[in-house]
Amino acid sequence: MSDQNYITSFCSIKSSKVCINSHIDYSESSQVSSIDFLKSAYKHYQLAYPKFYKMDSLCKLALITSDLLLKTNKITENYNKEEIAIVIANSVSSLETDVEYQTTIDKNNYFPSPTVFVYTLPNILLGEIAIRNGIKGENTFFVFDKFDAGFMSSYINSLLNNSRAKCCITGWVDFYENKVESFLYTVEKQPGIMNIEHTSEQLTKLYTNQ
Amino acid sequence: MANKVFVTGMGIMSAIGNSVEETLYSLSNNRSGIEKIRYLETSHKDNFVVGEVKLSNKELIELAGIGTYNRTTLLGYIAVREALKMASITDMKEARTGFISSTTVAGMCHTELLYKGFFEGKNNENFMDHHLNGVSTNDIASHFGIRDYVTSISTACSSAANAMILGARLIKNNILDRVVVGGVDPLSKFTLNGFNTLMILDNEWSKPFDENRKGLNLGEGAAFLVLESEKWVKEKNKKVLAQLIGYGNANDAFHQTASSPEGHGALLAMQKAFKVAGITPDQIDYINAHGTGTPNNDASEGIAMQTIFKNHVPKFSSTKAFTGHTLAAAAAVEAVISILAIQNSMIFPCLNRKEQMKNLTITPVDTLEKNVSLDYVMSNSFGFGGNCSSLIFAKN
Repeated sequence: MSDQNYITSFCSIKSSKVCINSHIDYSESSQVSSIDFLKSAYKHYQLAYPKFYKMDSLCKLALITSDLLLKTNKITENYNKEEIAIVIANSVSSLETDVEYQTTIDKNNYFPSPTVFVYTLPNILLGEIAIRNGIKGENTFFVFDKFDAGFMSSYINSLLNNSRAKCCITGWVDFYENKVESFLYTVEKQPGIMNIEHTSEQLTKLYTNQ
Repeated sequence: MANKVFVTGMGIMSAIGNSVEETLYSLSNNRSGIEKIRYLETSHKDNFVVGEVKLSNKELIELAGIGTYNRTTLLGYIAVREALKMASITDMKEARTGFISSTTVAGMCHTELLYKGFFEGKNNENFMDHHLNGVSTNDIASHFGIRDYVTSISTACSSAANAMILGARLIKNNILDRVVVGGVDPLSKFTLNGFNTLMILDNEWSKPFDENRKGLNLGEGAAFLVLESEKWVKEKNKKVLAQLIGYGNANDAFHQTASSPEGHGALLAMQKAFKVAGITPDQIDYINAHGTGTPNNDASEGIAMQTIFKNHVPKFSSTKAFTGHTLAAAAAVEAVISILAIQNSMIFPCLNRKEQMKNLTITPVDTLEKNVSLDYVMSNSFGFGGNCSSLIFAKN
């Protein structure tokens, strides 16, 4: 089998805009807060997953992006759930929720909440995507200074080329103060309709254009 | 062909003993280590029974003899020392040697006692340096001079199984010649309060695989195995305790703190372990189940066993009513128990069980069985986050 892999679909949310495979699919005024935008996108797309409201902002962002990605490219129907990997990275870890949790253990206002606490790890978003879609393949989360196309492309290519997975949901999800962006994409062995080779160069180009 | 992976040493500290020998004695005499809280500083002292290592921090410091460290490092150090001694390893430089330790509590057992003082300016305890996950691993590795590969794993209750899996893979891929693998978790307010919040603790003795089971008893401990490559074992003509022939890790993708009713993750982990081992389910003679005693786990695990073994589920038991649930150490504690079962031809019982579970057709072993030849033993460990692992040990 060829060692070449392909980016077969992608979806990004940034500056109150949802882009699916490069076209703007939904947007609002950039004045709206990130969290309000996520809520209105959730309603707009009628995602119907009540657990969404319990999640922290990072997971909400990851969940909407992955839901839209898997709507445009139905990999969960085309592959066994054990053959789909999820590998995602970001730069801020779960800082948004860490800070929120910190306020609940302040000695003057001590009321820690387990519901908040469970989101004080960034890889929880992998679990949320896996649980939502029943995906049971490999999953890994990385924290980097910035999106690292070289690392991501070689890591995922190696997963696919060593038969650790047949398909991968991967990309970048950040949510902290004004640093809010997601960019998720699928990688498969077949070119699909997008026909974009999964190389560091192509990935950099794609990410920069979002 | 890839290297085989042999177990050549083991060490253990738990509620039922401070060595492999004491552990075997307790197991074969129905002596549970679960009692009223004696050492842990908590306002729940009279509310729960737990499996404590029967030594205070001061006594542990004396037993370890390496200076003042937190309970995590001390328990781990003592268990590793026993494992290395059993494997007759003294020179770390003669082979590529690694250390993989797992923990969920890490330095929290110490941090939780001192952090209030920290905010009042009493920060001289130096506890912050020992809070992080990898610190006890590094402390232990440096005391023994292990340098070729050192890492920590934290995947909740399947942690130590994953440490063993990683270790086995490093040997099979010829990256290491031998590796000390296992886990350590001391009791802490952090875990006791956390599990209490989730309402999965039993106030009395836990009853794994009983229809009226109410939850788990927490335990603490450390257990480590020395894994060595076939090549190195042959070269040095070493005594082998067992072979780690199969392993699998899978995710349940169901819920953060609960298992799916069908036990999908457990099933996948066991299937993968059989594939790696190259044996079929009917060859398994005994399963040391995860069997925490929570309503959810035992139902889910039981269904998964019934599915994979069809109508021929081998003899199985949970030994958590002896040790308590030792979290990140559990899989290593139970690996030691599984190997003791193989070595001594014994099946250790599932204590406190009275009533058959209604949604299962299978029944665990609930009295000690002797003179049972065990060629293949499976040990299961399932963690929060749906992280499920299964190990298969062989006699030869």
